[in-house]
Amino acid sequence: MGEGVPGLASAYTILFTAALIFLAILLVLCLIRAIIGPRVADRLVAVNMMGTIVMVIIAILALMLQEGYLVDICLIYAMISFLAVIVLTKVYMGVYLARQDQADGKEQENGDN
Amino acid sequence: MEIIEWLQFLVGAVLLLLGLGIFTVEMIGVYRFHYVLNRMHAAAMGDTLGIGFCLVGLIVMNGLNLTSLKLFLVVAFLWFSSPTSSHLIARLEVTTDTEKEKHYREVPLADLEREMEERKTNSSVEAKEFLTQEGSAMEEPRENLGQEA
Repeated sequence: MGEGVPGLASAYTILFTAALIFLAILLVLCLIRAIIGPRVADRLVAVNMMGTIVMVIIAILALMLQEGYLVDICLIYAMISFLAVIVLTKVYMGVYLARQDQADGKEQENGDN
Repeated sequence: MEIIEWLQFLVGAVLLLLGLGIFTVEMIGVYRFHYVLNRMHAAAMGDTLGIGFCLVGLIVMNGLNLTSLKLFLVVAFLWFSSPTSSHLIARLEVTTDTEKEKHYREVPLADLEREMEERKTNSSVEAKEFLTQEGSAMEEPRENLGQEA
């Protein structure tokens, strides 16, 4: 970024590197939150946040390396992380309801909500 | 032309740093709140506003081309996907929580309005007590909510 203007290229490099380091620290904090989160929903929220921060990192890298195709990866990452949250929520809720039904001794269709 | 490019850099940098600041606030909120449904409130902020500011800053730095359009598409996709996933996680939490009364209480809206009317008509001393109670409830929500329930 910023070729042809004296000083601008290094300014872009410094800004992007600082932003990437800061986001990496936030990512580690997110991971700690995901590990210590007492409930499953805590972990899911933390994983969702990690997905958002990784998206910003990929977008910054796309501009820093001047590779436009990395933004496509960012878009796909957004979709896959959304899908992961949906699938994990459905699976966990289905497992919970099935276990509850087993405990109650009922014959009932579940997992539809 | 140099001035325009420097201006582009400065506006983009301010927006990017604003986004990073919102991510910081999000992280502080996630560590300070004590319960998932509170934490979700802080986490949703970064999903929309934080990444919105960051990517708008990157769009300003990049100028208008196809890459900028894709960056905007990422933000637009998150506008739809973030509320949906928050809703699903909240429903999961409410469904699977076995000790609800420890974390929150369910109050019908009519009861709450009646309670507030009573508090308005009461004397100022009780209002002060109510305020201090609320202050302590903000710091230690679990114990106080348990007592109230």
